[in-house]
Amino acid sequence: MKANITALKQGLMRCHDCGWLVKIADKLSHCPRCDSQLHARLPYSLQRTSAFLISGMLLYIPANVFPIMTVNQFGVGEPHTIAGGIIELIDSKMVPIALLVLVASILVPLFKLIGLSLLLLSVHFRWQINARLWTVMYRIIAFVGRWSMLDIFMISILVDLVNLGGVAQIIAGPAAIAFAAVVILTMFAAKNFDPRLLWDNQENQ
Amino acid sequence: MNDFIDPPFEATDAAINKKNEFQLIWLLPLCALLVSAWLVYKTVSEKGPVITITFPSADGLEIDKTKIKYLDVEIGKVTDISINKDLKSVEVTAEMDKQSGEYLTNKTQLWVVRPQIGLGGVSGLGTLMSGAYIAIKPEKGDQERHFTGLSVPPVLEANVQGKKFILETTNIGSMAPGTPISFHGITVGEILDYELAQNADNIKLTVFVNAPYDKFIRTNTRFWIDSGIDLSTSADGVKLRTGPLISLLAGGIAFRTSSEDKITDSVPEYTSFQLFEDYDQSTQVIYQRTVKVVMYFDESVRGLNVDAPVLLRGIPVGKVTNINLEIDGKTGEIHIPVVVEVEPDRIIVVNKQADLTIQDNIAHLIANGLRAQLQTGSLVTGQLFIALDLFPQSKIVTHRNKTGYAEFPTMPGSLNKIIHSTQAFMDKISKLPLEAMSTEINNTLVALQSSSKAATKTLDATSGTMANVDKTMNSAQKVLSTLEPGSTTQYELNQLLKELTETASSVKQLADYLEEHPDSLIRGKKEK
Repeated sequence: MKANITALKQGLMRCHDCGWLVKIADKLSHCPRCDSQLHARLPYSLQRTSAFLISGMLLYIPANVFPIMTVNQFGVGEPHTIAGGIIELIDSKMVPIALLVLVASILVPLFKLIGLSLLLLSVHFRWQINARLWTVMYRIIAFVGRWSMLDIFMISILVDLVNLGGVAQIIAGPAAIAFAAVVILTMFAAKNFDPRLLWDNQENQ
Repeated sequence: MNDFIDPPFEATDAAINKKNEFQLIWLLPLCALLVSAWLVYKTVSEKGPVITITFPSADGLEIDKTKIKYLDVEIGKVTDISINKDLKSVEVTAEMDKQSGEYLTNKTQLWVVRPQIGLGGVSGLGTLMSGAYIAIKPEKGDQERHFTGLSVPPVLEANVQGKKFILETTNIGSMAPGTPISFHGITVGEILDYELAQNADNIKLTVFVNAPYDKFIRTNTRFWIDSGIDLSTSADGVKLRTGPLISLLAGGIAFRTSSEDKITDSVPEYTSFQLFEDYDQSTQVIYQRTVKVVMYFDESVRGLNVDAPVLLRGIPVGKVTNINLEIDGKTGEIHIPVVVEVEPDRIIVVNKQADLTIQDNIAHLIANGLRAQLQTGSLVTGQLFIALDLFPQSKIVTHRNKTGYAEFPTMPGSLNKIIHSTQAFMDKISKLPLEAMSTEINNTLVALQSSSKAATKTLDATSGTMANVDKTMNSAQKVLSTLEPGSTTQYELNQLLKELTETASSVKQLADYLEEHPDSLIRGKKEK
């Protein structure tokens, strides 16, 4: 048996639930043993990933344009956008924290959005690529996704902790919800992307 | 290499389900699109007008941080601050809420709220922590997008119920916008603004009286400066009046109603009132009607001041309001027109003639010989007052009157009369032939001198005689001592002799004095 032989090329697929090996017949097939849906590759992987990705991209705009939180001190507060918060942190000489926020809140989601788009495009247009490297990228995207929730966690903790009535109060802005949605949607997008598709397109494996 | 190799085991066929799946997932981007679009639309649609405000300085203002608030509700935000081209002021650009559009009119006032600590209280304390903000006081009017910010906050920030009145005074003293106005000790209003009249002869204070109390401002309401402490001494003892504590510190204005007024007498907004210097002044009767006349005095008015009284047979009927100096360019004559304000209501007219005006009455009195005179009120200070009295025989002297007031004839004052008679007396003295007199006196004196020399010789002879007398006396004493001691004769003789001795010494003194001052025979004894 050659190493580069895939189950798909053998006309076989495996039930995800019970591990039963089945011959590929149709896209809408069920496992004869446990009746769960069968698919050689994640069904509609490209479509679903694209849908999640486009949703994420659309929400990424309000997440950055609108204020993510309002810090009220003595009844007077001003809303901060993500970028505004970073600039404020730099002004307050807290560069490391500013860098952390920059990476977690802007660069990581952006990297995920761009990375997933590239993955989708490469599959769709059958680009001849270094599939091994791209798989590494996919793994990073899938892993790093949850860490973008850092900002949301911080805000949700702060909103609860810093609630001193008139003295100081933190109110989450509309961007917080949009940002959380971006993170969740990109996580779903990564989940729905089937990295095996990267390999299927490669002619010389 | 064959791609399809036989599996080494039997794989079963998959069960086939023909149901076609609709990709519901595509609803998700649609939702995201809707949400994003809605957010963007909301932001754009809530975007209100952009206004510019000119301020003298941007102290405390920050881009994107400074808010514009009305009644402490945020209605806008400063988006830009730039220095005007004239380099003297700053232009603040602000983005307002959509609903705020109708407030932005040409009468709207904007000012910067900073913490203020004064005697009247502390305000804007919140801005200590939050930084300054721009407050707005909307007012209905025409649409306006460019404003000039006030450098001082208007005293009335919100639209409070009440009325505005004008108080006229000559000196603002320690009063300033915000100075309280009290009514029976209750603070019922404050000074809004002050303005110097165009001719700078008085100050107009705009005051605001809050709603329930504004109806106490009636026709005869009196306002006075409530300086806090009013200490006065009189025959009754020492009297102390104090106002509210705040007016002790910052001064204030008080008012009271008059018992003559009824509730229906309340006056409309912007009625003018006089502001009295103190409580006592405000209690004095004020005559609204005044008649101004001008009096020309040809004598010195030194000691006559503005506000000097005008007395008609000792009763005050008016006061001096103005004293000028005029020089006739043609004839070189000097005139002093004195403008006098007469309060005709002080005089009760009996047997009143309905058709006669005050001017007619004055003309009638002048025809009867009413004249004005300068009289000395105090010989010590030389203060003058104007006395009016009847001098039926006197002539009416008129002047080229350019003051616009009716001229009132004058007479030389009593002091002036004294001066005139003294002058005449001095003139007579100066006409005396003093030189001739003095030569004659000289001659007389020479003659006197020779007479006195002769007198001295005579006196010398007398002195010799006196010595003889002394001798005679001594011998007489010897004779007397032989007389019986203790007898009345002896005592009397003793007395006589003592007196004779004193007489002799006096004569000696006289002789000595005459020797030294022979002229005293004529001129008498000089005082040392």
